[in-house]
Amino acid sequence: MRDVAFGQFYPADSFVHKLDPRTKLLAGIVYIVAVFLCTSYYSYLACFLFLVISIIVSRIPIRSVLKTVKAVLFIIIITVVINILFYSDGKVLWSWWKLTITEQGLIFASKMAMRLLFLVLSTSLITLTTTPMNLTDGLESLLTPLKWIKFPVHDVAIIMSIALRFIPSFMEEIDKIMMAQKARGASFDTGGLIKRAKALLPILIPLFVSAFRRADELAMALDARCYNATPNRTKMKKLTFTGRDVVAWVLTAAFLAIIIMLRTGFFGLL
Amino acid sequence: MLVEVKNLSYVYSEKTPFEKQALKDVSFVVDEGQSVGIVGATGSGKSTLVQHLNGLIRLKNGKITVLDIDLSAKKPDLKALRKGIGMLFQYPEYQLFADTVASDVMFGPLNFGFSKTEAEEAARRAVNMVGMDYDSVKDRSPLELSGGQKRRIAIAGVLAYRPKILILDEPTAGLDPAGKREMLSLIASLKGEEISTVITVSHNMDEIAEFSQRVLVMNNGKLLYDTTPSELFYRLDVEALGLSLPHTVRIVRLLKEKNIILPEVLTEKDLVAALLAYAGGRNA
Ligand SMILES: Nc1ncnc2c1ncn2[C@@H]1O[C@H](COP(=O)(O)OP(=O)(O)OP(=O)(O)O)[C@@H](O)[C@H]1O
Ligand SMILES: [Mg+2]
Repeated sequence: MRDVAFGQFYPADSFVHKLDPRTKLLAGIVYIVAVFLCTSYYSYLACFLFLVISIIVSRIPIRSVLKTVKAVLFIIIITVVINILFYSDGKVLWSWWKLTITEQGLIFASKMAMRLLFLVLSTSLITLTTTPMNLTDGLESLLTPLKWIKFPVHDVAIIMSIALRFIPSFMEEIDKIMMAQKARGASFDTGGLIKRAKALLPILIPLFVSAFRRADELAMALDARCYNATPNRTKMKKLTFTGRDVVAWVLTAAFLAIIIMLRTGFFGLL
Repeated sequence: MLVEVKNLSYVYSEKTPFEKQALKDVSFVVDEGQSVGIVGATGSGKSTLVQHLNGLIRLKNGKITVLDIDLSAKKPDLKALRKGIGMLFQYPEYQLFADTVASDVMFGPLNFGFSKTEAEEAARRAVNMVGMDYDSVKDRSPLELSGGQKRRIAIAGVLAYRPKILILDEPTAGLDPAGKREMLSLIASLKGEEISTVITVSHNMDEIAEFSQRVLVMNNGKLLYDTTPSELFYRLDVEALGLSLPHTVRIVRLLKEKNIILPEVLTEKDLVAALLAYAGGRNA
């Protein structure tokens, strides 16, 4: 189970790992915007190249990156199939009852699939190259302006870091509970959908029980040490931008510019 | 031969930066009727080893045969295997899930193909065996029992399908001394009458000294010694392995420093007998 924990930090010594988390988060947002600005195949190609280059530079084996896609492959396939079958504009290639496959539909669905893939891959590249602590620090720092509208930025950051901190523990817990139930003859991969869903109960119930127990224990431990989320806590490691971040900004901005130019046909020049 | 392990190696998260060799070339055999302890420092691979025995970890390198089932086969009969080799984990009470004690204990038997009435009968037997009254607890929620009772019910959930071999991974972890004692005597009473062979992973050397005829000592994923408790605690350098001595052995050593020579006892009963014999000898 620990093997499939998707989006977990993957340690390596690379340009991307060393970037400030805020840079990565912002670049991620820019990338997502760019993906939604895509119209022509050239712009999809540009997105693809940007992603592949980032992955190569991050020195994370392709296998580990692709593993994160596996977790959402089902959703992507469903989306694509529905889009193909229910898109009714354009030249009809095949039709039966209310279902039609049109040329336009195929194109639309393939673009949709690419968008989803790019979204999943880019966000998991961020979590793969950033420790959970850095990620929350970065988010907190980016969200700081929201303090003006009384948004509890600090509390949200603490909640997020606790949640992230517990993901590996939960994976471990699921692993243990699954083993215990398998030892008692449970099987999770046979039978129809309903049978399989029912087979999850012996895992989910102990998991919830233990989650509440843990939450209780943690709350007590925090109270016992008089914890309160003072807004002005200092950080052990202060986030700082370096020359590396500037390089990343420039590259990301250039990428966004290319996408915009492709969308507008180089501002009507083409 | 009930269990045969040959050249077993295992690596977690192979080919990633988290790669960790947990077992290296481990071989041993367990015969029917033995009670085997597995000891070793934390992280030495004990849990990984026992999880292989009932197919919870897929065998990658080496050969394992348990109850005539060959685990290196392409599709070993895992149901038959797991029915024959029961396993109790650390904090077994965390595996309780059903709405009533009865249905939780019947979970295993039903999975292994018992009929409804057989399962009910098996549950009654198992719950009574762990020292609780079936009729008074069967309809209660397992979550509202006390910690010790939960653990008993969890044990009953394994005993119910009558495994031949019982594997216990740190059965007494998190119990107070009285709870430990109770648990151990329960296990000891099961061995023989119900279960022929017990394999116990433990950090508690008192348990090993008290209940095992044989100890496997794991160190860094390797099987360092396959020996008897008296050999381990009286001849080998236990502390160098990151293990402690049982209290009985410590007392014998202390007395030796005071020139009181006792036989090499392991169990508390034998220690008391030896002390009485010594005192008697002096008085005579
Ligand atoms: N699911 C896992 N993924 C990766 N590594 C693991 C996993 N489980 C155990 N390990 C590693 O394998 C090694 C052996 O672990 P194992 O749990 O078998 O040790 P152990 O002897 O049972 O220790 P303990 O006495 O603490 O229970 C350890 O270094 C551990 O960190
Ligand atoms: Mg262990």
